[in-house]
Amino acid sequence: MDFGYTPEEIEYREKLSAFLDKEMTEEIARQNWEDLGVGPEAREFSRKLAAFGFLGMSWPKEYGGQGLSQTYDFILLDELGKRWGAHVPLDVGYTMVGPTILRRGSEAIKKEFIPQIIEGEIEFCLGYTEPDAGSDLASLRMEAVEDGDDYIINGQKTFNTECHYSEYHWLAARTDLNPESPKHRSITMFIVDMNSPGITVRPMMTMSGEQTNEVFYDNVRVPKNRIVGEPNKGFYYVMEALASERNQVFIPARLMPILNELIQYVKETKHNGNPLAADPLTRDRLAQAAIELEVAGVLADHSRWLESNGMPLPYEAEVTKIFISEAEQRLANAGMEILGLYSQLLEGSKYVPIRGRISWEWLHSFMTTLGGGTSEVGRSVIAQRGLGLPRSF
Amino acid sequence: MDFIITKEQQRMQKAAREFLKAKYPSDFVREMEQDEKGFTTKLWRKMNELDWMALTVPEAYDGVGGGLLDLVLLLEEMGRACVLGPFFSTVVLGAFSIAEYGSETQKQAFLPKIANGKIRLTLALTEPETTRYDPMTVSTTARPHGENYRINGTKLFVQNASTADTLICAACTADQVSDKNGITLFLVDAKSSGIRMTPLKAIGGEKLYEVIFTDVDVPGDRILGRLNGGEAQLKNILDYAAICKCAEMVGGAEKVLEMAADYARERRQFGKPIGSFQSIQHHCANMLILLEGSRYITYKAAWMLENEGGDSREVAIAKAWVSDAYKKITALGHQVQGGAAFMEEHDMQLFSRRSAEAAVTFGDSAYHRNRIACSLGL
Repeated sequence: MDFGYTPEEIEYREKLSAFLDKEMTEEIARQNWEDLGVGPEAREFSRKLAAFGFLGMSWPKEYGGQGLSQTYDFILLDELGKRWGAHVPLDVGYTMVGPTILRRGSEAIKKEFIPQIIEGEIEFCLGYTEPDAGSDLASLRMEAVEDGDDYIINGQKTFNTECHYSEYHWLAARTDLNPESPKHRSITMFIVDMNSPGITVRPMMTMSGEQTNEVFYDNVRVPKNRIVGEPNKGFYYVMEALASERNQVFIPARLMPILNELIQYVKETKHNGNPLAADPLTRDRLAQAAIELEVAGVLADHSRWLESNGMPLPYEAEVTKIFISEAEQRLANAGMEILGLYSQLLEGSKYVPIRGRISWEWLHSFMTTLGGGTSEVGRSVIAQRGLGLPRSF
Repeated sequence: MDFIITKEQQRMQKAAREFLKAKYPSDFVREMEQDEKGFTTKLWRKMNELDWMALTVPEAYDGVGGGLLDLVLLLEEMGRACVLGPFFSTVVLGAFSIAEYGSETQKQAFLPKIANGKIRLTLALTEPETTRYDPMTVSTTARPHGENYRINGTKLFVQNASTADTLICAACTADQVSDKNGITLFLVDAKSSGIRMTPLKAIGGEKLYEVIFTDVDVPGDRILGRLNGGEAQLKNILDYAAICKCAEMVGGAEKVLEMAADYARERRQFGKPIGSFQSIQHHCANMLILLEGSRYITYKAAWMLENEGGDSREVAIAKAWVSDAYKKITALGHQVQGGAAFMEEHDMQLFSRRSAEAAVTFGDSAYHRNRIACSLGL
């Protein structure tokens, strides 16, 4: 057993930290994370990350990567997280789409897309969820019908975040329309150019001010060579990528700046002449948050280690995801209680504490146990795959 | 980063599990809970044949020279089997303290005998005035008396005192009682005149004692470590012990989850296994989430204690988390297994009672959270 890092990994972390301290502003971090949209600053930052060699460390050399251990990419995510960043600017391509292309894509698709992802040039948006296909993704209805060298796609997606600034849609659509066919064996993955005629993107604003989108397809023509892998296997590709996505999206380090701000706040803030830091209840709350962050860290270390070593992880990343997302909610809630009356103030208000980051985080945190799969589906997955209980759905 | 345990550790773990399955079934646990000593000589001898007492004793003193992680893995197995008795107090509290702080003479006198199962030790620390865990409040006194020190005071929650040959007693050697800079550890012969032991009746079945020292004379060469250096020594001993307690809890929690998941797969109601109901699935998933966190935080704290020069904060995190998690896991284990598990004959209650003991031993979660708050600068 070894919980340490190699000298090379430590050196990489130091180099990266120095770079981020210089280049990553809070504005970039927030464009990165809050999904108001990756603006020009974050795009520029993305290119710089690539130019300084911080993207693609663990990606294959033949497509522009450096062929090293995945630990390097996890170090990158941790260091971004510590600075409110949470993920690389163009993260759907980098953490979700790219790995599936590498696993399942044709040589032509790999050659076309992987180098652009590693260079920090292009972004994808996930096209999975539909109004009637949420947790039960296999029941999605968007249809793709063959027409010569193309497919013609019709239907509606919802909660497709990043669609308003991405170059490509990573789209799951039904290609086997025979009603007798099993629904999870009739879905195909497409890479769709977001500029294709017939696509309409309509913004949907979340309660914490992030933009996600509804996307409508009206006879959108997609060339057959933009199919990823084999037709009708798309659902499996989505499922096999899940554990890795969880590992790369749910980053415990992202909670560190929130905790650090609260620690700073209770040291500087007085109540009845005494610092809040001396209040036993406040101390206990923040200590518990620190405990949970550390436990989230070892859970993430474990599922990352399994992934980095090519070992199966049937339920471990789900454990990590549920734990981190719920720890985030508890931390946000603790923060709101510590800020008391002032917790209700929003960014920009007179008297707002911690620049409104805590009230924003609290609003945002409702999403964490829903997005990427609800905690309820996750717990059943853990019970079934981790403990061998019978299927419940 | 590497979560693999060595082949040797795997072998030891497997041997321990098989041995305890055969020799330490739950009927035997019940017997040992009633038994005054909490172990049998036969069992002690067999454990010794497996080199368990020698595991962490350095090779130079007839030991195996294993590390804390080896001990953690062994204690997990003991936690699974609800092992009672003086192994923990002898090996965790005794062998570690002497290997770490003993003089060469003391090491030679004690360690080979520990490694060969010939003697048993324990730690006499907590006192009645500490109504909550507060290990550095020591008002038992040790005053110079000729060549000796004369000890007076009362110690509580002393594990396996009646079967110990030597008590490591923390006493105040400073002029002012309760001065943290005046704590000294003494290796006291348990048969010394002036020692009186009274068993306490404890929820987890552990053999806990009140030990009263009345004018107990201890030779000056029986000081363990430095005169007045006890605080720093105790801090390390208790960090080590807290992690070992976590390991026991992890093992117990793992066993509880196995019992609950087995039951959920087999027990049928409404024509289906109850494990197909999501409420039961989610209880079981919660247990697994709590268990995995407990296991890896224990391993990490143990690793850091050995490799990063004693990181107390990580120990505090582990003990706080695992104490709470084990109690939650046993509560969920009861809920999943229903009324049957509320019965004395059912094994579930062995673990829930043990979780109440383990949670408060070497500091409860609130105590450790306060330590963490201090380390955060609060």
